[in-house]
Amino acid sequence: MADLDCTVDLGRGLRLRTPVLTASGTFAYGFDAPLVDRGALGAIVTKGTTLRPRSGNSPARIAETPSGMLNAIGLQNPGVDAVRREYAPRWAAWDLPVIVNVAGDRLEDYVEVVRRLDGVPGVSGIELNVSCPNVAAGMQFGVDARLAAQLTAAVRAATSLHLMVKLTPNVTELVPIARAVADAGADSVSAVNTYVGMAIDLRRRRPVLANEVGGLSGPAIKPLALHAVWEVVPAVSIPVVGMGGISGPQDALEFLLAGAAAVQLGTVNYVNPNAAREVLDGIRGYALERGWSDLRPFPLRASPVPSHA
Amino acid sequence: MSVAVLARATVVARSAPMEGAVELVVLDPAAANIAQPGQFFQMGVEAPHTLLPRPYSVAAVDPDRGRLGFLFSVVGAGSAWLSSLEPGDRVRLIGPLGRGFTPSPGAAPICVGGGLGIAPLVALSAWLVAAGRRPVVLQGAREAARLLPADRFPGARILTATDDSSAGWPGSVVGLLETVAAREQEWFVCGPTPMLQAVIGLADALGLPRQRIQIALETPMGCGVGTCLGCVTPAAAGGYLLACQDGPCVRADRVDWSRVEDAFHG
Repeated sequence: MADLDCTVDLGRGLRLRTPVLTASGTFAYGFDAPLVDRGALGAIVTKGTTLRPRSGNSPARIAETPSGMLNAIGLQNPGVDAVRREYAPRWAAWDLPVIVNVAGDRLEDYVEVVRRLDGVPGVSGIELNVSCPNVAAGMQFGVDARLAAQLTAAVRAATSLHLMVKLTPNVTELVPIARAVADAGADSVSAVNTYVGMAIDLRRRRPVLANEVGGLSGPAIKPLALHAVWEVVPAVSIPVVGMGGISGPQDALEFLLAGAAAVQLGTVNYVNPNAAREVLDGIRGYALERGWSDLRPFPLRASPVPSHA
Repeated sequence: MSVAVLARATVVARSAPMEGAVELVVLDPAAANIAQPGQFFQMGVEAPHTLLPRPYSVAAVDPDRGRLGFLFSVVGAGSAWLSSLEPGDRVRLIGPLGRGFTPSPGAAPICVGGGLGIAPLVALSAWLVAAGRRPVVLQGAREAARLLPADRFPGARILTATDDSSAGWPGSVVGLLETVAAREQEWFVCGPTPMLQAVIGLADALGLPRQRIQIALETPMGCGVGTCLGCVTPAAAGGYLLACQDGPCVRADRVDWSRVEDAFHG
């Protein structure tokens, strides 16, 4: 049987051996989930990392909802310097690229975090979390095309690493924002982050989450996320990394058919540590059954520029 | 720390040892060989519309027969699904996870459980007895029917308390603890947050150092392994402890009790 070339070139030197990544916030910094098969992964995306350490929100931080979960962790992380000093040297010894998710609430802070990660051995790329509120503008960077583009351009100027911008779906129109960050220098976009939601405790008569609202993930959002990817793919000429509620091979295949160059697995890692392996096996099986030699035939629609170089 | 394993374990027994609780005994020899009292397992749930595995501390560890026992109440769709499993059914288990109890050799061990908080103390009591110790187990419940029978604690001294005075000490298990408390003891505690806070208050009043109290934390959990950062408890050193990684069993002096809220919602 002919073998399948599963590699994905996301651009600017970020080549993945498989199209299966872990999603930010569901895999910490790559050291805490020993049951997940690293051999199935193309890259790890880390927990959102900020300039200074953050202790995060009060509990309760998570709540299960129908076929989903809400989280409001509050960016608990040790800060970029600890990441650079303690984690990056260990990543440098891995055969698996690590993409650091970067968060902040001032443009200058994002830039500084990215500057401190640039050229650090073990750091293979940046994923920009644009779902943080901008303290000056009072709104999220990611909900406004102009703000999102400004942030992307500023970060672009501070690093030669692959720059992936993670889009928030909590917007009226996603496509203009995707176009704006692509034009501002993003090498890829990942879509989508969690949907804002909440749950209320009837007995205690208050929101379940201490933060009141949180991000909804899990199978509940998959059709929404898939549609977002379907919309964004033809609108940009850079690779789109799809995510949102992928719970197994079937879901991942739908994202690839929608035109995603790769997929990120998030909440499913909590449920099934074998998910990454099962998803990769499912992708391989689907492609091999059709006699494909690589992943390029996946997108149902011709894209402006091939996502799988 | 032990290394967690992923297994599809076979249910070998299901029973209702007391009112409002279900006990599942499963065959999982690899995990039964390494599980320690106070550690927990993530149990996969396949009920419609549920998602996350349910974390349960292990109530019985039998390495000779490769068995693990779990004792829990039915509070929602996940625990209801688990409680409906029959002998021969399979359940996905990840574990053992987290840090268990670490009894010190000298001090007299006192186990204090409120409600289903008794679960990890069943395993701890058995472990202590096997190690030649004679623990005192204090079990509190709303009513007599909700007490785990004393024969589940062979070799231990059992004292009970009920809120409705239907058995044992009339009132809170913390009131009962006060009658036997002494400064040279070591306490192992699991139960609702208000009970934990009362235990800490009693220890402080008595002069029993908080580092001689080990608490098994109960909290909603996502991943169970330290990646989601969902299961936090305020830390005395600032920031938070992760129940899944720093605990679930933690020394009481590591917790900032002034910031602990009763956030557990089953």
